[in-house]
Amino acid sequence: MEKFSFKDVLVTFAGLLITAFIAWVLISATGNNPSEVALYLYEGGFKGTRNIANSLYQATPLILTAVATLISFRVGMFNIGINGSMYVGALYAGWAGYKFTTLGHFTHVTVCILIGMLVGAAWMLLPALLRVYAGVSEIISTIILNFVAVLFVSYMANGPFRADPIAPATPRILETAELKQIFPNSQFNTGFFIAVFVAILAHFVLNKTTFGYELRSGGDGLVGMYPSRFSSYLGIPSDRSAIIGMLISGALGGLAGAIEVLGAVRYFFQELEFNQGFDGILIGILGKLEPIGSVIASLFYGAIKNGGFYVDYKTDVSREIIIVLISILIFFVSAQKMVKGLEKYPFIKKLDNFFSRKKM
Amino acid sequence: MEWIEIFDLSIFRSLLRSTAPIAIVGMAAAMCSAAGVLNIGLEGKMLNAAFAGVYASYTFESVWAGFTAGIIAGLLTAALFGLLSFTLGADEVLAGLAINIFALAGTTYLMRTIFGQAGFFSDPRIVGFEPISVPFLRGTFLEPFLSDFTYSVYLMFVLAILLHTVYYRTRLGTAIRATGENPEAAEDAGINTVRIKWMVTVFSGLLAGISGIFLSLENLTMFTEGMSAGKGYIGLVASSFGNNTPFGTFGASLFFGLGDAIGIRLQGVYELDSRLILMIPYALTVVVLILIGIRQRLRVRPVPINESSIE
Repeated sequence: MEKFSFKDVLVTFAGLLITAFIAWVLISATGNNPSEVALYLYEGGFKGTRNIANSLYQATPLILTAVATLISFRVGMFNIGINGSMYVGALYAGWAGYKFTTLGHFTHVTVCILIGMLVGAAWMLLPALLRVYAGVSEIISTIILNFVAVLFVSYMANGPFRADPIAPATPRILETAELKQIFPNSQFNTGFFIAVFVAILAHFVLNKTTFGYELRSGGDGLVGMYPSRFSSYLGIPSDRSAIIGMLISGALGGLAGAIEVLGAVRYFFQELEFNQGFDGILIGILGKLEPIGSVIASLFYGAIKNGGFYVDYKTDVSREIIIVLISILIFFVSAQKMVKGLEKYPFIKKLDNFFSRKKM
Repeated sequence: MEWIEIFDLSIFRSLLRSTAPIAIVGMAAAMCSAAGVLNIGLEGKMLNAAFAGVYASYTFESVWAGFTAGIIAGLLTAALFGLLSFTLGADEVLAGLAINIFALAGTTYLMRTIFGQAGFFSDPRIVGFEPISVPFLRGTFLEPFLSDFTYSVYLMFVLAILLHTVYYRTRLGTAIRATGENPEAAEDAGINTVRIKWMVTVFSGLLAGISGIFLSLENLTMFTEGMSAGKGYIGLVASSFGNNTPFGTFGASLFFGLGDAIGIRLQGVYELDSRLILMIPYALTVVVLILIGIRQRLRVRPVPINESSIE
């Protein structure tokens, strides 16, 4: 993937404008008032402490899944199974949350999070090994594992881990395992800071360390291709970095699930539904597979997602419109030739050079 | 031997019914993979077609209106995929993924907004396909086995034979395989590889569309959120397991269909957790993926000359 450039920003914003126009048409076509929807979208996303806190809460798992996506993509593995990691991570973090009764607050939270991450990483082990040692497409295996994960956690919440005879749910986690919620009436919790910390850490590890360089050398320049031979010329075992990248990616998915359970819902139940793994892929691409870019994109996405809930509540427009629009935006952003086509305008080229020099 | 009893006529029929959607979409995947296009977007095409089919059938109260609308939806989605990945230079996997997410959210949005229903939409006005009785089978011993299915089962057989013929008996088939195996050589031989890729993509849209319509308008005339439930991906695995050939894909799809049929049957016979039953197709897929992996490990891989000379 090319270095982040001004062209990309331009295309993203142009895409946003066109997407907004499509949204306008789509909403009017289904018999609703677009300006009303836009107003509610804004109010739900940004107005008042509670809505802002909720927007940040929505962004929390998205940051982690986006970073998980970009790490796997940048080692040259298309990990689509982060949603599955999230489910199993959430389930086992919840399990650890009520199982260990004698731990202090800090230790308990750490143990729960580590178990969630470990399980999330373990979930990615099979696709990683299949890909590296047997050439089986990790894309398909991770997608299929998503389906398995949903049914598996739903089975566990119904069977072995079930506590409530009426509702299929695990016991509530103990108070020592909770991530604290800071604002009243909002599920915003300290997990947000963990997520931001992870993103910053990922930025430094990927861009400033040898380990990060080894990871990237497998995939950079050839996102979508399989671990490139470039890295083996440098004497870097690309197989190993591919597996490590997948495991880190799964662990971050598990972490996202763990934070959801420890910080927001506090127990695991059958109807608990995660989509953030898939949203994270979109956000990772929007953020140009850079951790910092992904944080920005997540905050944006979190806000409009929260606004979307408000729109859903206030009008007849259902909240899926947000995902529809973001995927249309992705169509624009992923169209590389459109980005390249901008190069023929001298003005844009000049701006592009200016900004990329500044970044170096 | 109590479990032997579940293998009877009804499981055979159930096997064919479960195989049909996977085989049809699997052959679309096989065509694409043979031409070197990794078409993740089949899932989205199925879903869009399934929704369009239900919508048109509901509006016009005609199953053929639904069929036409579904095919158009499948073709349009395929055209979007082609436009993004061949004309605008987007990564095939990213384009496919974006299309799948778009289709899942889009159909859910439309269903909730147009019909005001969440979860699933069903209405007596939706007309579905009727089973057809095959004239020349009437009275023969094959009648209970092969008659009175809906179109998809027959289409699956026809497609397998038709595609096999195209694949190995026509110039087009050779061009498709050449595009997948060695694009540069194919270009040198005067084959327009981009056109071939466009062609298989559009064709896969047609097949995925048909497969999607049969999901929503065949046995149950209804639309459910995310009703394709990974069938597009399972089709990809089936084509991969079958070495991207029509007959191979068909055989692999039968394997998946058998798993499905046994699952449905077990549900009736034993008190099993429904989630474990639902997991069968996906668990089978994982098993098949592992088998593919083992097969690829065992295969003696010829080392290309240019690669060995560099290293």
